[in-house]
Amino acid sequence: MSADQEELFERLATAVFELDEALAAKLSQEVLDRGYDAWNAVEHGLLAGVNRAGKLFDEEEYFVPELLIAADAMYAGLAILRPHIKGHDSGFNRKVVIGVVQGDTHDIGKNLVRIMLEVAGFEVHDLGRDVPPRKFVEAAIALKADVIALSTLMTTTMERMGEVVSILEAEQVRNRFKVIVGGSPLSQQFSDRIGADGYAPKAAQAVELTKRLVGLVNAA
Amino acid sequence: MAQVHFRSHDLRIEVEKGSSLLDAARRGRIRLDAPCNGAGTCGKCKVRLDDDARDAARIVASDKLSEADRRDGFVLLCTTLVEGDLALDMPVGAEHGLKILEHGQQIDLPLAPWIGKRHRPELNATEVLSGADVIAQEPGDTTPYSYGLAIDIGSTTIVASLIDLGTGSRVGSASALNPQAHHAQDVLSRIKLGSTPEGLALLAGEVIGEINRLIGELVAEARIPRRRIYEAVIAGNTCMLHLAAKVDPEPLGRYPYTPTLTGDRHLSSRALGLAISKSGLVYVPPIVSGFVGADITAGMLSASLAEAKGVTLFVDIGTNGEMVLARDGHLQATSTAAGPAFEGMNIACGMRAAQGAIERVSLEGGDVSVQTIGDAPAVGLCGSGLLDAIAELAVHGVIESSGRFTKNRGALPPGLQARFGERDGKPVFHLTETVFLSQGDIRQVQLAKGAVRAGIDVLLRRNGLIAAQVDRALIAGSFGYHLTVRSLLDIGLFPPEFDGKAEYVGNTSQTGAEALLTHAPSRESLARLVRAVEAVELANDDAFTKVFVAAMAFPRPNRPELEAVA
Repeated sequence: MSADQEELFERLATAVFELDEALAAKLSQEVLDRGYDAWNAVEHGLLAGVNRAGKLFDEEEYFVPELLIAADAMYAGLAILRPHIKGHDSGFNRKVVIGVVQGDTHDIGKNLVRIMLEVAGFEVHDLGRDVPPRKFVEAAIALKADVIALSTLMTTTMERMGEVVSILEAEQVRNRFKVIVGGSPLSQQFSDRIGADGYAPKAAQAVELTKRLVGLVNAA
Repeated sequence: MAQVHFRSHDLRIEVEKGSSLLDAARRGRIRLDAPCNGAGTCGKCKVRLDDDARDAARIVASDKLSEADRRDGFVLLCTTLVEGDLALDMPVGAEHGLKILEHGQQIDLPLAPWIGKRHRPELNATEVLSGADVIAQEPGDTTPYSYGLAIDIGSTTIVASLIDLGTGSRVGSASALNPQAHHAQDVLSRIKLGSTPEGLALLAGEVIGEINRLIGELVAEARIPRRRIYEAVIAGNTCMLHLAAKVDPEPLGRYPYTPTLTGDRHLSSRALGLAISKSGLVYVPPIVSGFVGADITAGMLSASLAEAKGVTLFVDIGTNGEMVLARDGHLQATSTAAGPAFEGMNIACGMRAAQGAIERVSLEGGDVSVQTIGDAPAVGLCGSGLLDAIAELAVHGVIESSGRFTKNRGALPPGLQARFGERDGKPVFHLTETVFLSQGDIRQVQLAKGAVRAGIDVLLRRNGLIAAQVDRALIAGSFGYHLTVRSLLDIGLFPPEFDGKAEYVGNTSQTGAEALLTHAPSRESLARLVRAVEAVELANDDAFTKVFVAAMAFPRPNRPELEAVA
């Protein structure tokens, strides 16, 4: 990679990290104008920027707004670069089906986890919010997903998560998927009780958990 | 069995070995905050044990205690199990009175109660009338004796006033904490508990029991018999009313949060178990939705929102920030989930508004000064103190607009620089030697105030309005009453344009209930108004996340005009 190219990717990463959506879009266009590889720009620019934001989020330096705005900047760049990405290999090809369980429409936490999983290289299928248990199962089967990620903010809807596990068992497909759960009223005990494979209290830890569950502990 | 001696309360309680200290405290009817209901997750029931007491207990480790706390001998009541006789002191704040606001803005209405009396000399009896219907007959002429109750059931507090229906005057009022909080702190936990038949019976029994106790106080004070109380108007949020009326609250816990009880109904006092006249009635005001209840509709009446000219924003700041935008008689209502931060929950040094709670904070003059409830030594921060503190931190540049502690501490006055400390490896800001604010605390307040502000911004936006076009901002609810408009503006819960337009209207749920009690025609007009109220579901607004994200920012130091709103 040439020094010029590296310098541009670094500026792209900084634009995302410093929450400058317009600059991220402008620099992404510049990547194309100069004929650099789009995937390299995504990896060393956009994703590197969100990763740095995610680290600060973990250290309580950044908060929800910063992370979501950084993600917006990333998506702005991605919209420009994506059509020009030639087949690439992120090192692994794992799919996650994610959504907020039925009865709940609070989706900011789920969106944070989705962003961080995407940045980590997972192919994430977002079913949105207020998603019936059966729909998670159907989507996971149809997409041949590796992981089903369930989110809720409300005490009153957390039991829906157990229903997803029950349906997987009833359909005799439980062992095809890892089920992870998250949301403020949950705990490891709850996850154990409903027979999920894992729980993470924070978005960044959800990524580590997911990687561990699909056997990618040491993967990038 | 083992004996637990609560030295601070001079109380000895016998419990089974293996019971938790929290159980023992509850058995002794010592009130204290345990929002997680003994699950060991909130860390609020912290208490210090001496070595003797530690030897007689089994202490289950909890990550809710810091290293420093553990070293200092602190444990959680809920995860400490009694093995033998022991003695301890309860923390300051347990069983102290709370500040409860009983009344709000009043409206002038002629006396026209639903309950009437008609003396029938030929029968030597008096008929009790519900509207035009005779509901009871009493011997002799009892026409001068007719009373009613106006009750506001809040998630935290219950207020009841006794009204003379012959004169419309308030004979007395009394308040108490809502005992349901012992079983489940927040509304969602109560919905969950109330969704089982046993849980519903428990929660209904608790709240009705407490109301009956208040009625007992009121009639004793006024020296009147309970049977002369013929009607109670009960306002409160949608969940509280479901629980009081023993209606399954389960649908309130899931989208689209549809209430079973819609209000504008007369129920019988007997069905509710209310200790008033056997033929007495209970009127429940109309309900808009799962999260905009009779407390808000009673407030609409009390604050005369239907008649208000121009643009009025009515905001009830609490665990849920409910708000109504009134525009020349057209009303829209919504509610935002502010969470429990305003009640001092999930805040490291948070506590209820009890003795020793810091309620005012100032950073003027380059140092911190605090004022506590009862001028007692500071033991924690209540909601109003928390907001005041964070407003001051924002104004004086201790925190950045993003909410992060400033990276540029050197630019602060030395008195403020010296207030920074560390707790579990993370920076904190000390208000006093023992009471501090963590970065996490500031984040909790950002989420809470951001939710309310986002609600305001979305409501305005949907109506093509900007903040400057709002003529009046009315602050309702007992929590809001303890806040200063300055701190609401300084943390950005209100847009800067509300400066000079905000006023307190107090507990309008209670005064609205009183108005409905003494002026029955208002019931019909309010029901009509509420049918026309548009309930806005914020989660369905596409712009909500973006507005919410912007609303979490604090105004820049001393220059609110720089606040950027997306």
